[in-house]
Amino acid sequence: QVQQMQAPAQFSGGSWKQKKTIFVRKFKSNVREFLYFFSLWGKTLQKIGNFGGGVQSYFIFLRFLVVLNFVSFLLIAGFVLIPSIVFRSVDILKYDPNPQGLVVFYEFFLDLLSGTGFMEYSYMFYGYYNNTVVVTSLVGSDFSYNIPLAYLLTAVFYFAFCLICIIAMGKAARVAVTTGGSDVRSYSMIVFTGWDYGCLGSKATKLKQRNIYYRLQVDLEEERLKKHAASLTLCNKVTLYSLRVLMFFVAIGLIIATFVAIAYATTFSQENNNVQGFLGLFYTYLPSIVITTGNFLVPLLCDQIALLEKYPPSATVVVALLAVVLRLVSLGILLYTLWNQIVCHGSTDTCPCHYNHSNYQCWETSVGQEMYKLTLFDLLVSIALLVLVEFPRMVVDHWSCNLTQWVGRQEFVVPSNVLGLVYGQTVVWTGALFCPLLPLINTVKFVILFYCKKITLFYNCRPALRTFRSTTSAFFFLAVLLFGWILALVVMIYSVAIHPSFACGPFRSFLRMWKIVPDSLAILPKGTRDFLFFIGSQAFSVPVFMCYFIALASIYGKSVAMLRAQLKLAGQDKQFLVKQIE
Amino acid sequence: MGTTASQLAKDSLSEYQELTFLTKQEILLAHRRFTELLDRDERNHPNPRVPMEVILTLPELKSNPFKTRICQVFSTSEDKDGSLTFEDFLDLLSAFSDSATLEIKSHYAFRIFDFDDDGTLDCGDLEKLVNCLTGETEDTRLSSEEMRQLISNILDESDIDKDGTVNLSEFQHVISRSPDFVSSFKIVL
Repeated sequence: QVQQMQAPAQFSGGSWKQKKTIFVRKFKSNVREFLYFFSLWGKTLQKIGNFGGGVQSYFIFLRFLVVLNFVSFLLIAGFVLIPSIVFRSVDILKYDPNPQGLVVFYEFFLDLLSGTGFMEYSYMFYGYYNNTVVVTSLVGSDFSYNIPLAYLLTAVFYFAFCLICIIAMGKAARVAVTTGGSDVRSYSMIVFTGWDYGCLGSKATKLKQRNIYYRLQVDLEEERLKKHAASLTLCNKVTLYSLRVLMFFVAIGLIIATFVAIAYATTFSQENNNVQGFLGLFYTYLPSIVITTGNFLVPLLCDQIALLEKYPPSATVVVALLAVVLRLVSLGILLYTLWNQIVCHGSTDTCPCHYNHSNYQCWETSVGQEMYKLTLFDLLVSIALLVLVEFPRMVVDHWSCNLTQWVGRQEFVVPSNVLGLVYGQTVVWTGALFCPLLPLINTVKFVILFYCKKITLFYNCRPALRTFRSTTSAFFFLAVLLFGWILALVVMIYSVAIHPSFACGPFRSFLRMWKIVPDSLAILPKGTRDFLFFIGSQAFSVPVFMCYFIALASIYGKSVAMLRAQLKLAGQDKQFLVKQIE
Repeated sequence: MGTTASQLAKDSLSEYQELTFLTKQEILLAHRRFTELLDRDERNHPNPRVPMEVILTLPELKSNPFKTRICQVFSTSEDKDGSLTFEDFLDLLSAFSDSATLEIKSHYAFRIFDFDDDGTLDCGDLEKLVNCLTGETEDTRLSSEEMRQLISNILDESDIDKDGTVNLSEFQHVISRSPDFVSSFKIVL
């Protein structure tokens, strides 16, 4: 029988057309390999792919954030930082928090960690930037550079740029979702096409085998649970649902308790920010500590609750969403408390300058310091977790098997790691207006995080039991990131509307930060002013909206083309069936 | 038409280029790697045949779970012992090369998965296939209950004429829907 099954004789070498198609295909794959070489961490991501699609999409998301932060830093450096350095003039101000005289060595270390002292009056924070409008005459023509205007507009462009990047990646991910939809990861697909024959080495092979094993197990278990849930009696269903409702209220209670703790910790920290030494450091870091503890404990408890209620594994998406709400809203609570302190809880009698000038000579720098502390604490906690928790667990794994069975080998849990990234990025967006170097710090932080997580993955973890579907997960990550962006935008709009400090910063002579835009427009020459008014008027915006709708129509056209392709596939299925019957 | 010495004759080279999907460099590289597997005295043999154990020392095949099946499918020896001549080796590399078409690859994939060589994939073949994919050790095998559930699901999805086995055309129909089968069914020296 084997001899009868001859291989189809379609070898190459015959026609020139076949040679050409082969050449084109080879060329395309060569170009792709070449570009791969230049893309950041391309080979590492391929190796990570052996752990599963969900884990790989986490690392792809992390790489996207690193590139986004780095390009934003270049934007800010080009338009704000470098002109400030070049056109630096001596400022005669009463606000100078630089410590005078000799400084004890550990004070330097404390200042580095909390952004005070020598760091406070530096390019790091808002307070150091001048409000100068530079007018020089270079090469005969007048050259003027308005630093405050550049500062504000760069911040606005930074937000717009991040939004465009997120939407662009989201569209790419969404196309992947709709085209991948016809390729349902059914069992026969996994079994017949799941093996990668280019996998070299026994370690990579074992990893891939384990990955396939867990995928099959997870899918089979979900199917069994669904069948079981469908066969429950009415009495069982009632008890199950009432248990779920009870646990839901318990979870809500825990979350509200966390919010109250954060508000209290922030108020306490701001009231005690004059304490010196290590105790002072602890007080300044108190909000970060409370947020991190809450973000760690509450999802853990909710996970245990979910296990108790025997939810199917796909319902962990609900727990993930709950954790999203927790992380971002706790950040919002911290900011709200901080803002309340700054504007003296809204009462104007203690605030003649519309902000709390006795406690905060330069409130923007204080906010920037808070965001800086949050970012730094996040990084320190990640590294500490790696060294103090995951490494010993790996050592324990190697030595005794009983303890391992009790504690369980650790998995790389994708959703909580992604939330950590989104939280970190939201903090950076919120603080970028007040701490222009924060995107650079965040780039370095994410690069360190990439390597730490890579080490954790390769040496400590096994592939996760609950696999995230890779095509939908990329889209989910970007949706959560967009949510964080909206929070940061709300914060920025609110802070642009508070009265800037009188003592420091580029906007010290303005009533509101955004007032600089109308003022600058007024001094522009008439021609430019008319042009800008024209852009804002109806004669221009209507064609712009039309272009938007045309772009929307083209996207729908693409969806229509994709649906047509799916119909064609369905037609091919029918033809195949007919051939079988005949 | 065999390799006479350690150098490939020029007309053999062009002939192999015509008959396979490989380029000239790939054929020369294959020839070099194949001669490295031979002993000193075998190299002067007109058509040397390398036993399976020696072929499986190649790093590209060493950790592949389907290595024995691959050698058996491409072997042309009468005793079905999986030993390969140079031309069998070229056949193997051609089927696994970049330029081979989807029909060739799916044809050979079907033959590799057909463990009992009866022309269809029945339950025994599928069970051996899944065990190869998940690993041979005890703790990475699916339980018999899970295996039964998995095989019945696979047959539900791909067995269209409901005869309890997957034949070549049903197999090729499943493969045609996968976008990355062609790029994953690749072995490059």
